[in-house]
Amino acid sequence: MRPEIDKILQTTAAQLMMQIAPELPPGYTQNSTGLIGMLLGFCAQEYENGAEIRARENRELRNLLAEMEGVVQDAKLRGKLGTVMGDSDASLKISDLNYSNAELKTLLIEVQAFLESRDDEKARLARREIWAVLKASANERDLKLPGM
Amino acid sequence: MNDDISPRLGRYMAKMLGIPAVEIDGLSRISGGASRETYRFAARYYRDGRAHDRRLILRRDPPASLIDTERSSEFRAYKAFHKLGLPVPEPIVLELGTEALDRPFFIMEEVQNCSVASILQPDPYGSLATTIGYQFFTTLGKIAKADPDKIGLSDLEGARTESWKHEVARWEREIDEDEREPQPIARAAIRWLKRNPPPPAQKVSVVHGDYRTGNFLYDSEGNVRAILDWEMTHLGDPLEDLGWALDPLWSHHNPARPAGTVTREHAIAFWEQASGLKAEPRALFWWEIFASLKGLAIWISAAREYGDGRNTDPVNLFSGWYCTAFHNKVLADRLSAVDA
Repeated sequence: MRPEIDKILQTTAAQLMMQIAPELPPGYTQNSTGLIGMLLGFCAQEYENGAEIRARENRELRNLLAEMEGVVQDAKLRGKLGTVMGDSDASLKISDLNYSNAELKTLLIEVQAFLESRDDEKARLARREIWAVLKASANERDLKLPGM
Repeated sequence: MNDDISPRLGRYMAKMLGIPAVEIDGLSRISGGASRETYRFAARYYRDGRAHDRRLILRRDPPASLIDTERSSEFRAYKAFHKLGLPVPEPIVLELGTEALDRPFFIMEEVQNCSVASILQPDPYGSLATTIGYQFFTTLGKIAKADPDKIGLSDLEGARTESWKHEVARWEREIDEDEREPQPIARAAIRWLKRNPPPPAQKVSVVHGDYRTGNFLYDSEGNVRAILDWEMTHLGDPLEDLGWALDPLWSHHNPARPAGTVTREHAIAFWEQASGLKAEPRALFWWEIFASLKGLAIWISAAREYGDGRNTDPVNLFSGWYCTAFHNKVLADRLSAVDA
């Protein structure tokens, strides 16, 4: 489709924010219309980047969890980590990527909590690695406001 | 919807005032958050032999509320702090029944000829920033200084001892109930807050609960005229409000100027001077982490409300999307520096 969907969304967002909202009487409807425009702008960002962000994040989470297998001694948790090793995303549909992402993050929460109960250098380094991945993920998912 | 509730509102007010009729004019919805529907209107009536024309605000519960808040606490907080002389609109009436307007509501005076800043707007206060910042943080200090027992708010929700524990539990519960996907940063923040409790509160105060830029009205001369949105008010550690007010989400894209007003050092100094309390750095840092976590909990709930179709106000989608991403970033930046 040309123009691309993100271009359509961006144009519509700009029309709502810059042309239509200012013509409405001040108040709830005007503010909401502008806000809906902004949300369409976020949808444009998500259309272009959503699959890439999730696929990369899932890859990084799998790599991280694979590394954690060598740090975690708990047998049950190691078993869970084993199940994600060597795995990859077969589908690039957002819903499928989200499903894997949720599974990986659930496991990450468990691993991070486990490592916080330990005070040794290995655990500390592993915690630092986890935070690096979480920080990168938060940066990737940050949304750009129009004009910023 | 406006046409529908105007006559009913008029009948309600007439009954309340004990007069034959009240004319409701110009009822229009204004922005006021997703936890209450907010309307502006004029009430015209004859009473005691003279004509009255009052500009009022109606705050009505939405069909589904983002955060379960106690509307009578909100009303009573308006009343108590208005009486104390703080810039708070005069509350008129609280109606907890659903007969009059289908949902509970309250009415208060409209503070006119004022502006409210949008959190998205860079530098909204311009040359008034210092004047506004002084009043904003000083007023917060005065709220902290007030004695809940003396102003009739001693029975507000909250904990008198270890309020931090009560608050973390409250917002953790909110996340447990409302998360639509795993939240590793929020979960790590909750664990950090529990592992590193703050020092005991210097006193028990009324906590506004949402004291920030965007929740007060100011006039063209830089006078802060009305502190609004007391719907999350409770008892607790006064540093809770300061941590929330200083949160980067409310900095208008300039973290060096909390609330888009003065420097952090000045903000804290104004608050300390007015409250007579100390914002000890370690304690304040804990409450700032808590503030971002509480924000995340609210935004996660907003996304749930929107996603489930209970309240599809675009504010809920904005909060659930943009603000969640924002606070995840803030917490990841701050906690990665102290938690690893």
